Amino acid sequence: MVRVTGPYDLDAVRSEWIGRKTDVVPGRYPVEYDSIRRHCHMVEDTNPLFLDPEYGRQSEHGAVIAPPVMTRYFAGAGVWPPSSDNQVSLLLSVPTRGERNINLNTEWEYLQPARVGDHLASQTEVTDIYEKSIKLDPRSVWVVTETRITNQDGELVAVGTNTLCTHRTPEQVEAEEGERPL
Amino acid sequence: MTTRTSPNSIATEQTYWDDVRVGDLIEGYDLTLDWTKMVEQVSGSQDFYPVHHDPEFAAEAGHPAIFYNTGWTQAALCRVVTDWAGPAGWMSRFRFEMRRMNIPDDEVHARGKVTGKSDLDDAHGLVELEVWLENDRLGVTTPGWATVRLPRRK
Repeated sequence: MVRVTGPYDLDAVRSEWIGRKTDVVPGRYPVEYDSIRRHCHMVEDTNPLFLDPEYGRQSEHGAVIAPPVMTRYFAGAGVWPPSSDNQVSLLLSVPTRGERNINLNTEWEYLQPARVGDHLASQTEVTDIYEKSIKLDPRSVWVVTETRITNQDGELVAVGTNTLCTHRTPEQVEAEEGERPL
Repeated sequence: MTTRTSPNSIATEQTYWDDVRVGDLIEGYDLTLDWTKMVEQVSGSQDFYPVHHDPEFAAEAGHPAIFYNTGWTQAALCRVVTDWAGPAGWMSRFRFEMRRMNIPDDEVHARGKVTGKSDLDDAHGLVELEVWLENDRLGVTTPGWATVRLPRRK
């Protein structure tokens, strides 16, 4: 996030940033086995729909599919090598009071599965920015985005809404508000 | 010493819409958040924001400990749904709220419950689920809600 240390004009930020969107950005790599395997490893998931090529071929999907919640992952560029043209760079550009953040609410509609070999793409739009008091920061700034994910045929695969809470450190709050939080 | 729950997925057993009753509980599974699991969280999610793996960074931001990230959390909740739904089930809607934190040494329990069902077409019906993560320190940390399309018995 771009931390604003002086006066913060929420109305101006809302006016300038709500409605901004990224281009339609293709994922760096197609949907692939190994990323799915690492995802499943996190939560000890052994579902053969996600892990077994032969089981996937014989399923109604005809191939291994990604767990639905991985759709966003495969529509992105990943963290390495660095990329400046994605959802993260849009979010990182929104002016906020603090540069620390907590991801809070996520909602997705999944319209069809992403199969191994599919090429996904995404477009993200800032849809809301507002202030809310939390224990860590009496004037934290919340940023809401909508992401639409499509496949190589231009078909809509998923639509997601994400709410990110940005906040200052306790030291920054104390310096700027005159009172330490908590 | 790393403790693991048994990774016995039931995902190959099909759940049919006709057999589901509102109020049914989903047994789910358990995870122990040791430091190996923390590393798996970063590897699997590719989320390298230090608040999820660097205790000093987390403390500086005012948090009591590192906490498990969004990627891990949604994976844990999604598994409750996909294990239960079986190979012909499809999670069409999903949302969750990260209200409280899951941190190192927590014992996390992933669970679910059927809250509603409705017709869709001749071959499928819809089921509404509540799913959640709870730990032994705080109780429910992460409530979630899913809509699942299930096949009808022919």
